[in-house]
Amino acid sequence: MLKKLLLLQAFLKKEFIVFRRYWVNSLGSMITLYVIFLLVIGGFQGVRAWAGVGGDTVEGLVVGYVLWLFMLATYQDVSHTLRSEAQEGTLEQLYMSTHGLGWVMGAKVVAGFFTNLVLVVVLLLAALATTGVTLNVDFLSLLPLVVGTLLGSVGIGFAIGGITLVLKRIDSYTQMVQFLLIALVAVPAGRVLWMRLLPCSYGSALITRVMVGGESLVQLGLWNVAAMFFVGLIHLLLGFGVYKICERKAMLAGMLGHY
Amino acid sequence: MIRVESLEKTYPSRKGHPAVKAVDGISFSVQEGELLGFLGPNGAGKTTTVKMLCGLIKPNSGQIFINGIDLVHRRIPALAEVSAVLEGNRNIYWRLTPRENLEFFAALRGQSPARLRADIDHYLERFNLGEKRDVEARKLSRGMQQKLAIAVALISQSKVVLLDEPTLGLDVQASYEIRQLLIEIVKEQGRTIILTTHDMNVVQDTCQRVIIVNEGRIVADDSVHNLLDLFRVRVYSIKIQGQLTPSQKGSLLAMEGVVMEEESPDRTSISVRLEDSQILYEVIGILESNHSIIESIDQDQNNFERVFLEIVKGGSQGA
Repeated sequence: MLKKLLLLQAFLKKEFIVFRRYWVNSLGSMITLYVIFLLVIGGFQGVRAWAGVGGDTVEGLVVGYVLWLFMLATYQDVSHTLRSEAQEGTLEQLYMSTHGLGWVMGAKVVAGFFTNLVLVVVLLLAALATTGVTLNVDFLSLLPLVVGTLLGSVGIGFAIGGITLVLKRIDSYTQMVQFLLIALVAVPAGRVLWMRLLPCSYGSALITRVMVGGESLVQLGLWNVAAMFFVGLIHLLLGFGVYKICERKAMLAGMLGHY
Repeated sequence: MIRVESLEKTYPSRKGHPAVKAVDGISFSVQEGELLGFLGPNGAGKTTTVKMLCGLIKPNSGQIFINGIDLVHRRIPALAEVSAVLEGNRNIYWRLTPRENLEFFAALRGQSPARLRADIDHYLERFNLGEKRDVEARKLSRGMQQKLAIAVALISQSKVVLLDEPTLGLDVQASYEIRQLLIEIVKEQGRTIILTTHDMNVVQDTCQRVIIVNEGRIVADDSVHNLLDLFRVRVYSIKIQGQLTPSQKGSLLAMEGVVMEEESPDRTSISVRLEDSQILYEVIGILESNHSIIESIDQDQNNFERVFLEIVKGGSQGA
């Protein structure tokens, strides 16, 4: 277990070093994402005024945008890492790790979670300041819900990363996943039961209930939270399963590290 | 330390390309503390074999044992005994410094960077990276990046180190330094090193033993010394002032082992490969017949490049 902690520490340190050393780049990413948010919120308000509808859905939009961002960053931590490490020539070293690639990617995801958390919190604060809305930011309730929701993103990341290992250079297709994630955040999983089975959707609905509706984890009910985690785990395992099939295919074809 | 038995690998057909048998039932073993050259022309199957030794490619059949551990069925425990530099200077993170790279890869291989601090400092100094320890790897010269990649492979404390083209693209000085480092590491640490290279000078200078593969099969497995002896031929290079007459050219070209080249209107070069010493006298006799002026006669050194080419050529003809 100590070795696994050392592995996690190594990834945390690497993430921090790169984040700090390339802070201009990190800042640029934040500004870009903030500008995108301004465009989204501006477009939304324009459409709302044009259609003559009202309501408090700006809160929902802020939550949806920030959650989508977190899911996208987590998804990319897996799929983008597998692709970029193959491009840079270090993927084979990750494969030769004595921990096994599953643990290595797990450590990478957890380390990335903290970096992404900084990014998401900063953008959330900026979004709240810009829109003037208030949200219930109950960290104790939100943390397990966010973790459960992101399991689905990790699963999608493994599946897409695995497919990229085999098919190579399919960026134009994998970019569509970010739109898929928007749909997964936006579907009404709170009202339509079967949509709770989609990756991330159930968690997204529960997070909205906490942040917009002001409910706590206890009020959501243990059953709901447990079901959300279960669905997330299933998606994680399915994604990892797809990845392992692709990995085996890539190893048989001798194209594991090629890109 | 390494035992390979009847290893086979066929890449499946795809996109209209037929299946390719890259490795065709090879078997060999490597002892602890041995520096082995694993050679072959492009497409001979050496990179496939090395990647199978790293657990990165699954063989179709055959067995690989690393320090007694079955790599095919117990990949993770076996990999604790193996480290590799497969992509040259691309095996490291360019946005991290040499120290940070060594610390990261130590943890990746299950080592504690804190406990290895002395080793990390040792390798940084040993590989002349001490002054650059806090400089991002992307800013280092190619030679330094290559040395860092090798240091990263060594920091894992693995007993077996696989190096794919460790001197590729390096200048003479950097290549020489790496050769010396490899010799010292084997001597001092008793590690087993397998290297693939196209640079026969590297092989001749560093390797105790070579395995040469061609078309997926082993065509030679012997010490460098024995192979040099086996293929020892005497080749003389004769420089002549001016050009030869047509009758001289005809007589020389009719002789086996004679190659002629008109370097310029003022000079002709003749290479004579001697199967017996009588041939040299016959060549000189032909030159004397028209009073050609001999500028010099030199004996060429036998080198491993020639040995390699002879073996590969022989292997292809035999196949």
